[in-house]
Amino acid sequence: MAPPKGGFAPSLEKFLDTLKSRPVEASVELLISLLKRHQIRGSEPCAIATAHILLQVVAKDKWNDVDQLLGRVQLIGRKLVAAQPRELVIANIVRRVLGLIRDEAEEDRNDNNDGQSDVASEIPPPVTSVAGGTDSPSKPMRPPVLGNLGNFARTQSMFNLLSDPDTAPVVWSNGSTPRLGSGASTPLAHPQSTNLYSFRSEVIDGIEEIMDEIKQVDEQIQAYSEITIHPGDYILVHQPSRTVQKFLTRAASKRRFTVFLTVDPSASLASEDPYASFRKSMASGGATVVTVLNAGLNAYMSRVNKVILGARAITGKGGVIVDAGAATIARAAQEQGRTVIVLGGVYTLSPESQFQEALIEWGDPSKYVNFADGSMVSQVKVKSAVSEFMPGDHVDTYITNLGAHTRDHLHTLIMDHYKEEDIAFDFYGKMQR
Amino acid sequence: GSTPPAATEPKVTIPECFSHLSIAKKSAMTNADKDVHPTVLVLGQQMATFAIDESITRLKATLLAFKKVIDSYNTPPGNTLARHLTPHVLNPQIDYLTACRPMCFSMGNAIRWLKLQVSKIDPDVPEQEAKKQLCDSIDSFIQERISVADFVITEKAARRIVNGDTILVFGRSTLVERTLLHAHSAGTRFSVIVIDDPYEKKGQVLSKTLAAEGISVSYCGDFGGLRWHVQRASMVLLCAESMFSNGSMYGRSGSCDLAIAAKALEIPVTVLCETINITDRVATDSLTYNEIDPERCSAASFRLLFDATLAKYLSVVITELGSVQPTSVPDILRKLEESN
Repeated sequence: MAPPKGGFAPSLEKFLDTLKSRPVEASVELLISLLKRHQIRGSEPCAIATAHILLQVVAKDKWNDVDQLLGRVQLIGRKLVAAQPRELVIANIVRRVLGLIRDEAEEDRNDNNDGQSDVASEIPPPVTSVAGGTDSPSKPMRPPVLGNLGNFARTQSMFNLLSDPDTAPVVWSNGSTPRLGSGASTPLAHPQSTNLYSFRSEVIDGIEEIMDEIKQVDEQIQAYSEITIHPGDYILVHQPSRTVQKFLTRAASKRRFTVFLTVDPSASLASEDPYASFRKSMASGGATVVTVLNAGLNAYMSRVNKVILGARAITGKGGVIVDAGAATIARAAQEQGRTVIVLGGVYTLSPESQFQEALIEWGDPSKYVNFADGSMVSQVKVKSAVSEFMPGDHVDTYITNLGAHTRDHLHTLIMDHYKEEDIAFDFYGKMQR
Repeated sequence: GSTPPAATEPKVTIPECFSHLSIAKKSAMTNADKDVHPTVLVLGQQMATFAIDESITRLKATLLAFKKVIDSYNTPPGNTLARHLTPHVLNPQIDYLTACRPMCFSMGNAIRWLKLQVSKIDPDVPEQEAKKQLCDSIDSFIQERISVADFVITEKAARRIVNGDTILVFGRSTLVERTLLHAHSAGTRFSVIVIDDPYEKKGQVLSKTLAAEGISVSYCGDFGGLRWHVQRASMVLLCAESMFSNGSMYGRSGSCDLAIAAKALEIPVTVLCETINITDRVATDSLTYNEIDPERCSAASFRLLFDATLAKYLSVVITELGSVQPTSVPDILRKLEESN
């Protein structure tokens, strides 16, 4: 893969710039390598990149019917997830797009059924071949009209007389479409180019809506900051993400409160302060920022009112993937009965069920131990965590772009945003996790 | 001619909510009282710069310095040693040391003891004799309350480590290091997980010392994935800076978070503490008694040096007078009072 022109380190922006000029396959390969090398990292960039690549697939790839498209999206989804299994948002976005495709297909089919325009629309999709004989379809199939059953064989043979491999109705091409056990699907009744064209643009619009949703998350979550933060509060934040920073900044424009800020210890020595602009905007409001250089924060908890943490991903049972160190802080807060609030967009909510709670992302051991330190390097096993899992019982409230939720409510949110067959779809396969 | 501007120290700013806590002040030796002994002057600077840091080390250094002070003391005519030494000689030393860095509980305990010894000196005893008596009792105090105490504690603690154990420790403390080395040289086969404070990194020194002896060590530089590490341990071994009489442990900041994680996973937390470190004070949170890191109290940074771990997170406290439940710490205090 040739590096992007300009010779700078690859990034999300560069990747998006090159999307239009590349063939889809090449873009997929590029994204896979960017994800593997952590050159695109973090929930929002990963989500945006995934949405963009799927948009390319829908717009540019050759597919003749819904099932082909679903299969294609699933295949690429699997590849992307395999490239970076720890970024749960990738699978989330793929599932959202799959659901979107199913919805659009369902709508089209209903339109056709209402019109009773065609014989083909009278024919029920062959359930067994579509569902793979095991999965039951999510929606009950329309019972076949009795009168049609007698004509079925003849209709079939007549179709065959007129059929052309390229324009064969979806129903018959189903059998030959390679599929990945996608569960039930909703084939398009009308595979004609005009319909496909409008279908395609509907799906593209839908994906763009998902992108807009992702980009608006910070803005929407901010709206809850005044309700959350009260005058005189002491708020503890751990390596705050942009979402958390904006949340606090908004509150600082209205309230006087104190923020205990913990930073990445290895970054605290660097000359460049990653939070310089954050401090500035906090100070211009009425808030005080105290940078706390402690690893264990329990000592501060008797002072703290609320702990606010940014989520890398939220699981259906309420567990949260957080920056390493946050779980210990939340634990300390819980011990002393302090409120723990997690901020994250709905798109970070993962329906993944086979997710292992012990999942810790281990990172660069040279964070604290110098490679030049021979006796440390050769004799001591050095571990350094990047992100970790925080159990749901440490969290009091989740604030997403849709509002504040309790742990029990997350399941409902998941059911609202993903279709069952997509939740059940295994993106990980036999991957070693 | 104009003199070059002196290097300005970063301004000390302490958030209002922590303004009640003590902090070591960098005071120049020249500001010290004229009566401060040269040895004490040096010791004060070592304490202010944290070159001497651990409670028990500071205590020992202080007592040895006070021996020199007493040795070079001559009672002015018309005074008695018992009445003159403490207010006119010892107190300026103590004030200076406290100005350099707030006294730790063990120093407070020992100084109270020393003043009592001074007041007990018979006015009729010749000065040389009296000074010798004092120095001898300081020597035996160091021997009994520090040297033997440390030996007994490391013995006891090492015996609690058995083959196949994984001991999780925090940072570096002399007692813990000696305990681990002692257990290893006694032939026990165990491994060690060192969790470190990323702002101190003293655990790396411990890791190397242990690894050089052939002990299997894994090291984690911060509290990331703490639960994962604690899960792999069979015991957490901590060293107390001090024990409060309600069974709370005053330890290096971060100790409490470790103890909480261990308690949640039902892994025993063993605390090592010499009885001289036990105070009759009570702490239910970490902001009653604490110390601010003088290196990190600018507008840009703040750091607490200690935290208090409630008794409910601790399993056993090993002292030279016995291993007790943390809530039984007052019983040890009582025992000490009776023996004095």
